[in-house]
Amino acid sequence: MIDVFASAGFTEVAITARFECFEGTTKQSTARRYRVVGANLSAIRAQS
Amino acid sequence: MAVMCPVDFDKARLRAEVQAIYSRVALAPDGAFHFHRGPAYAVARLGYDEHELDALPLEVTSSFAGVANPHAIAPIPAGAVVVDIGCGAGTDLLLAARRAGPSGRAIGIDMTEAMRQRALDGAGRCGLTNVEVRAGDATRLPIDDQSVDVVISNGVLNLVPDKERAVAEMARVLKPGGRAQIGDIVIGEVLSEECLRDIDLWAG
Repeated sequence: MIDVFASAGFTEVAITARFECFEGTTKQSTARRYRVVGANLSAIRAQS
Repeated sequence: MAVMCPVDFDKARLRAEVQAIYSRVALAPDGAFHFHRGPAYAVARLGYDEHELDALPLEVTSSFAGVANPHAIAPIPAGAVVVDIGCGAGTDLLLAARRAGPSGRAIGIDMTEAMRQRALDGAGRCGLTNVEVRAGDATRLPIDDQSVDVVISNGVLNLVPDKERAVAEMARVLKPGGRAQIGDIVIGEVLSEECLRDIDLWAG
């Protein structure tokens, strides 16, 4: 995802936090197997 | 890691599944889903402020189905124009409208009519006059070029097969120096071809 934002002209692209959003759901085991988590992503649109 | 769609993936079916699932989330959020909903989840797992959510209508927050917390990335400045891509029932949208204040605007975009209606009703019940809700999707934003200070989104990009186009749309509408504050899922392992073709995994 970081690469997609960088290719679109964003700078300072970073994951700033992660969340265990699938714990306790019926997709918990799939999420654990593939290490799927929620994440905050911050990016700045380049000046030019 | 961005998950790319197989070239022969049935994107029309995915769109229909997403609309059906999120219409149900809007109309019957207490039903059976394979993802969490509601304000207690948002507070306990994503770090939302309990008092801020309590100040929003339960009809809005009960349909919250985000996966992260874009508001935790940076404060929305007063006077900002904010676009919430895939605003759903409006939890993040109304929080943004409150922070942008009367000199700012919060524009929600969603492709599900039931969700748009929930967000509009919620804005009215909160007395927020700086909220607009428009029909659209992440790959074709009904927003002018370079007109937006902050783009937010929560749990939407993972539902979009063409992520490059969706992110290019964010870049198009943001002013130079504007910020994208995105909540979404990331995947730590390479997915099998079977998983990539499983529409239930995409639609959730």
